[in-house]
Amino acid sequence: MEGSSSAIGRDGPAPAARNRMLRRAAIAVLLAVALVLPQLTANQFYIHLANLMLLNSIFAVSLGLIAAVGQISLGHAAFIAAGAYVSALAALTFKIPPILGIVLAGFTTGLAAALLGKILLRLRGVYFVLVTFLAGQVFTLIALNWESVTHGANGLLGIPAISLFGFPLSTRLRFYYFALAAFIIVLTFVWALMRSQYGRAFRSIAENVRLAESSGIDVSHYQVIAFALGSGIAGAAGATMVHYIRFLSPDSFTFNDSIAYITMLVVGGRQTMLGGVLGALFLTPLPELLRGLVGAQHIVYGAILLAVLLFLPNGLVSIGRSLFRKTSGAEAPK
Amino acid sequence: MDYSILLAQAALNGLVIGAMYMLMAVGFTLVFGIMRVVNFAHGEFYMLGAFTAFFTYVYWEMPFVVCLVIAAVTVGILGMLIERTLIQPFRSDEMSGMIATLAISVIIQNGAVLLWGPSPRAMPDIVTGTLAIGPFSFPWSRLVVIVAAALIFVAFWLFMQRTRLGRAMRAVAQDTETALLQGIRVNYIYPLAFGLSVALAALAGALMGPVFSVSPFVGLTPMLKAFVVVILGGLGSVPGAVVGGLLLGMIESFTATIFGSLVSDVLQLLLVILILLVRPAGLLGQREA
Repeated sequence: MEGSSSAIGRDGPAPAARNRMLRRAAIAVLLAVALVLPQLTANQFYIHLANLMLLNSIFAVSLGLIAAVGQISLGHAAFIAAGAYVSALAALTFKIPPILGIVLAGFTTGLAAALLGKILLRLRGVYFVLVTFLAGQVFTLIALNWESVTHGANGLLGIPAISLFGFPLSTRLRFYYFALAAFIIVLTFVWALMRSQYGRAFRSIAENVRLAESSGIDVSHYQVIAFALGSGIAGAAGATMVHYIRFLSPDSFTFNDSIAYITMLVVGGRQTMLGGVLGALFLTPLPELLRGLVGAQHIVYGAILLAVLLFLPNGLVSIGRSLFRKTSGAEAPK
Repeated sequence: MDYSILLAQAALNGLVIGAMYMLMAVGFTLVFGIMRVVNFAHGEFYMLGAFTAFFTYVYWEMPFVVCLVIAAVTVGILGMLIERTLIQPFRSDEMSGMIATLAISVIIQNGAVLLWGPSPRAMPDIVTGTLAIGPFSFPWSRLVVIVAAALIFVAFWLFMQRTRLGRAMRAVAQDTETALLQGIRVNYIYPLAFGLSVALAALAGALMGPVFSVSPFVGLTPMLKAFVVVILGGLGSVPGAVVGGLLLGMIESFTATIFGSLVSDVLQLLLVILILLVRPAGLLGQREA
């Protein structure tokens, strides 16, 4: 997005303005479609899929926020699970309304990530990946074994649905609009963040850590912020999901899910915010086509991930971008 | 219960799993040292080694030594092919290479589920009977694992120190470009090193097959422990992997005996974080430039 707009900006103000108009129109159309589409189908399963697509988009985008400072977290599912446990337990034991529980989950996981990040983000690259992987495993272990709180492998049952002003979001369709709103809020937040001074700092760190450091950017500080925000959003989204699925066990979010979010991000495109969304929209419905074969869906995920890494390193977004460049006739920089 | 017997038992178990961790970590750290690739599929090659040993030993009833050789060779060749086709394209990009190994891991593991089913299979012990020393008695099936792992490591060490190929590998690990200038064919070294690394993982899997059970999911724990070991010992350091592996096996066995396995696993993570904070390069590793 950023790349193409600056490329077009070189041609003068008129195409840039036209481009902005086009983009606004596209967003309006997409929004209208998203609002109307579920009304056109009575098939609950499609609506359920749409809900999962929205939630997975948020998971992938929040992971993308961490990746935006050049770090990859293999413990993302653990933060999602942590948020889910916070909100579910708050609702079950203290009767805290789910909507507050979601906010609470976002803050606690964000805070936990900030504290953990202060320690772990001294590590760069592969060391950070390894430690987030180990931390995720330990979280699953604790969730499995702390039976007095988490009920171990049996999981938590009867988690209440979200209720807005006494109006319960207990059907798939009602939840869809809540998830859509959450999705739009997260996307707008990340978009605004990436346009702020933080976004600029993030990008310079991702581009070249040492150069950023020597230009006076406090790399660890920004990495902690990105990690805390990404994990906090993931925690809140995990809480949202648990009030939709209404069941939570240590198996709900595991290492395999962490890999799935990375797959979505990489397949969609690591460089932009839209990449995660695109990846989630493309990959979420895919396993449903392969329901018959146990394990086959994971193999297809893995194969797609490999193929994208090998042949389309910037993800699906880059296809769209090259098409867009052709039609608008602008030259790409570099 | 007599404490000395309990402690001797814990020490033996610690040596067995420590020997396995050592084989896993040595291969893992070799690939990182030479290729700068974090191989998330390392545990799946352990699993493939365990299955190869299971089929050759239980179904085809071959002598166990032959089973070990078959496991090492087939998995090693598979590893070379995978390196050449799927990992080498990412040589200049550590992160993408690592994500590629994640994908490979998912494919191998679920391929194994499709082929052989998810349920674990028990594998009979290679040898029976116990060795009695004073009041202590040690089952031979465990002692064999320790001896075999030690022999495998000595063979590996001699290969790395005494052969041209081993020297070439060490040279590439130290400085790829200088190695290239000396006429070392890096393009051949990479697949060979990867094959060697996963062959060690396969041997670990084959040896542990009779100790644990064999299933498509057995690779995860050894890989996790290999990560812990290489962080303890230093990424890229072979001596670090040996010391770290044996140390972790002992720590795990004793803490699990005393406090239970959950506390043991959590303690290990805390230990890793502590090491990373105090000495990021690991106990025997060298600081990266």
